[in-house]
Amino acid sequence: MISEPIRAEIAAEIARFPQPRGAMLRALHLVQRESGYVSLDAARELAEIFDIQPTEVMEVVSFYNMFFDRPQPKHHVYVCTNLPCSLRGARGLLAQLEAHLGVHAPGDTSDGRIHLGHEECLGACAYAPMMRVDGQYYEDLDAEKAKTILDALGN
Amino acid sequence: MAKISVDGTELEVEEGRTILQALDDAGLLMNGIDIPHYCWHPKLAVDGSCRLCQVEVEGIPKLQIACDTPVRDGMVVHTANERVRLAREGVMELLLVNHPLDCPICDQAGECKLQDYAYEYGVKSSRTKEPRRALKKRVDLGPTIVFDQERCILCRRCVRFCREIPKTGELSVYNRGDHSVIETFPGAQLDNDYSMNVADICPVGALTTKDFRFKIRVWFLENVPGVCTGCSAGCNIHLGVANNKVYRYQPRRNDDVNDTWICDEGRMSYREIGSADRLDRCSVRDAQGRRVVTSLADAVDAAAGRLAKLVESKGAGVIAGIASAHATNEDLFTFRRFLSALGSETSGVAVVRGEADGILVREEKAANAAGARALGFGDARPVVDRISSGGVDALLVLGHDALLETLLGGADRLAGLDTVIVLDTHASELQHVAHVMFPVRHAAEKHGTLVNADGRAQRVVPAVEPSWEAYTEGELLARIGAAMGLAGFDGRYDVRAVSKELSNAVPAFAGIDLDSVGDGGRALAEGGESR
Amino acid sequence: MLQSPYVTNYLTQHFADDGFATLEGYERLGGYRAARKALTQMSPDELIELVKTSGLQGRGGAGFSMGTKWSFMPKDGDRPKYLVCNADESEPGSFKDRIMLERGSHQMLEGILIAAWATGAETTFIYIRGEYAFPADCVERAVAEAYAKGYLGKNVMGSGFSHDVRVTRGAGAYICGEETGLLESLEGKKGQPRKKPPFPAQYGAFGMPTTVNNVETYSHVPHIVDKGVAWFQSFGTPKSPGTTVFGVSGHVARPGLYELPLGTPLAEIVFEHAGGVPGGRKVKGVIPGGMSMPVLPAGQLDVPMANEFLRERKTMLGTGGIIVMDETTCMVRAASVISYFFRDESCGQCTQCREGTGWMNKIIDRIERGAGDQGDIDVLLDVAGKMEGGTICAFADAAAWPVQGMLRHFKEDFVAHIGARKCPFPESFEL
Repeated sequence: MISEPIRAEIAAEIARFPQPRGAMLRALHLVQRESGYVSLDAARELAEIFDIQPTEVMEVVSFYNMFFDRPQPKHHVYVCTNLPCSLRGARGLLAQLEAHLGVHAPGDTSDGRIHLGHEECLGACAYAPMMRVDGQYYEDLDAEKAKTILDALGN
Repeated sequence: MAKISVDGTELEVEEGRTILQALDDAGLLMNGIDIPHYCWHPKLAVDGSCRLCQVEVEGIPKLQIACDTPVRDGMVVHTANERVRLAREGVMELLLVNHPLDCPICDQAGECKLQDYAYEYGVKSSRTKEPRRALKKRVDLGPTIVFDQERCILCRRCVRFCREIPKTGELSVYNRGDHSVIETFPGAQLDNDYSMNVADICPVGALTTKDFRFKIRVWFLENVPGVCTGCSAGCNIHLGVANNKVYRYQPRRNDDVNDTWICDEGRMSYREIGSADRLDRCSVRDAQGRRVVTSLADAVDAAAGRLAKLVESKGAGVIAGIASAHATNEDLFTFRRFLSALGSETSGVAVVRGEADGILVREEKAANAAGARALGFGDARPVVDRISSGGVDALLVLGHDALLETLLGGADRLAGLDTVIVLDTHASELQHVAHVMFPVRHAAEKHGTLVNADGRAQRVVPAVEPSWEAYTEGELLARIGAAMGLAGFDGRYDVRAVSKELSNAVPAFAGIDLDSVGDGGRALAEGGESR
Repeated sequence: MLQSPYVTNYLTQHFADDGFATLEGYERLGGYRAARKALTQMSPDELIELVKTSGLQGRGGAGFSMGTKWSFMPKDGDRPKYLVCNADESEPGSFKDRIMLERGSHQMLEGILIAAWATGAETTFIYIRGEYAFPADCVERAVAEAYAKGYLGKNVMGSGFSHDVRVTRGAGAYICGEETGLLESLEGKKGQPRKKPPFPAQYGAFGMPTTVNNVETYSHVPHIVDKGVAWFQSFGTPKSPGTTVFGVSGHVARPGLYELPLGTPLAEIVFEHAGGVPGGRKVKGVIPGGMSMPVLPAGQLDVPMANEFLRERKTMLGTGGIIVMDETTCMVRAASVISYFFRDESCGQCTQCREGTGWMNKIIDRIERGAGDQGDIDVLLDVAGKMEGGTICAFADAAAWPVQGMLRHFKEDFVAHIGARKCPFPESFEL
């Protein structure tokens, strides 16, 4: 069930667009902020709100990197492995983090708390290697700094 | 109008039509001017993603997709030069990179556009050494369709079809790039009244029907043109015939009737042709009320005898006839003549009615209700009322469905009649009350015309021959009439002659006969209901 | 993250000042003066003519004349018109729009306001890539300030002109940086580019006439209005006037942002400004304009960074994202990273792109793994050739060009990799 406050935010967003559907991406971000992913039920509810088929909601979820169709670990850690970052050692950093967490990227730690994965260029090419942790950028990393950041992630 | 030139051929086309539409309008597409294509379909919105229909338009540097390029006066198009050939080859090679080598086990083989175009326009051997993407090969998409994700070339016709025609929109392309895959909402099914059309429009064997799966290779099938008899829409079909058996119906394009579609129920109605409850012999009821198989001659005599006796004792006024909206115009014209010669004035046509869906399906659930009415058969309700009030002693019935389902509610209501003569395709409760029963041919087993709800006369031809002695209603009535010595009945029946006679005799059918209607049909002089 | 480019000019000269990102500070430093002038003293046609004459090229990668784009908008008023600010910056090697959003939002907004007046647009949608959470917050803050001050909303600056801005965030898909892919995403759908025609000026956001411009491009506009065409054309080259914010990354001593005039030689940017390759190593190849642009070998770094010169070298300015690769770099590995990106980001509509990006990536990966054959190089080139010029959008071309560039200048890396059945560059960055 999408909560009332989120429904209200979605309604407010819909009002800001010439066509309701313009609010879809924000609606999905909001639903995810609440539940961590877009469940089938949430997709059905959104389909009703936007007066479209549930599959039209789910196809959007499947298209974008930032939307998930299944429950997620609490923390998302993405290391950029595109070319500028790779030239400056991003892959080596990722390998170290894989070892540190006991994960083969993309994958989750055995306690299900942390997802470690790759991401494409995040617009931080001069500050490589870098990672995006729970939406926040951490730049100019080395293995030690990165591990410290990950160790500080709460439960 | 715009004058354009395609490969040197001058054409006059409607402004605003795309190149593919213009060629399709002119009947030239893939029929003189070949522009291979996948995602475009004449009855669906333009997609423009397969890129196979690229052609050269003079004056425009890049090749243009013919499906999305509106014609302009003076346009010069090249569809077969080297540049176009190379572009096509490129698209074809790339499509085959991930497509599995399933031909030996794929139903589509023989009617597969990938096979056809790869042969015509593709590279002759594969250069790819990379493993093909592995996806699900037998997705149970719903009650009627099986989906092989690996074979899918992502033309997205099926997605557009579901959104635009039944408007149920079950299918979507999920993910992106070469991870794109067509799916339903998780847990949902492809389940609508037109679902099986996706198998027709799928250019490859990705979407196939469960009904046809693995039954027969399509190159064994002869496609006989016909008309679906499930309702008064009269959707045009091809009957897929082999070994004197109908294996499937497929819609046949008719832009004035059904476009390129047919409803699932109509498509599946081919099963009634070979169903186990087909009447396959003449029979009479003996004194103990049991059915006894007889020869045609004996059955004809029995029927003629009973009717003649009644005419003598009570007059023809006690004889009634119920026509079937499944029978052809030729059969019904003969029935009309028979009743008239007999002196009976009590007749009507019974039609099962149901829901129309605003897409193809019509209310009247038989193919020739309009024809019956045009031939002068009114509603059968007054006939039934007269039966109930005891004014009828003999009833000639052509077909049982409407009579039992909607009018009588049960065959026992006829139990008290002196004579019940039934001419029918399938067994029914009527066999308990019928004194004489005759097996008749299905629309797929004879020549004839039918009139659909829009007043269009269309024809059927024999696609299969029953394995028993079967007759048309007209043939039977000709014999019974002759046995009774009715004026104008000599026992012979020539459907072509009857067709011409009908055309001359009934003003609405002026100019309409078995030959003149052709495979596409022809409107009656007066129209029927509008769509 | 830098607060300011290492070399600044008129766009970024105040970025080091935190106040520049506030409306009050921006105005104190001369901001919103041009907008006031445009809205109260200039007609829309005058403005379009001004920007057209200035020669300002789009800075989002395509380099199309901004003024000309504005002139495509219909003049009549029966349908609402929209602007879109394309802040979807996702081109690998580009990170300039990010700093413009974080440190120069008001400058961008002022450019948008002027563009709105010039084109008659009633709303601007600022579409920011989903991962740019902090930059988007900065923009939203600036927008709120502008509304509060009456610089957005009804009767902007008392001019009688009203304009609204909506900030919307993407969700992670490179193809949403393509003009019509963006429009589809803005409308809440998958970001699959549209067939053109119709072009956005006829059928754009929500079906209405729309102009899409880049963050940096909008940011030049207030300066052109304020100081005029002659001033603007004093920077850059005759065909490519103005400055741009170059991003330099990869094997350089000082990776970062550099606002320099167009036409600055690539070598100057790499060696003088970014400090050259550290450790005494030599440059091997440089990608000049973001990863979609074909690589240039070390011998061609004299090229002035402007489209008219770069095109002669079979490459383009793109987004000015300069990626430097030194002599340790295995170009097959680089190609592997590049081709994976394009395979992952293809929207999947067009056959050539969907299948071609996949196939090229698979071939290159196989070569990189040591399982390549010499014939693979020809197949690779042929596939790249088949992807060009026949798709709904230019993504397929952008995917083909880097491969063609690599094979044009570094074929020997591929040959060596195939022959050795492993990477012949032991010091190369790892995969």
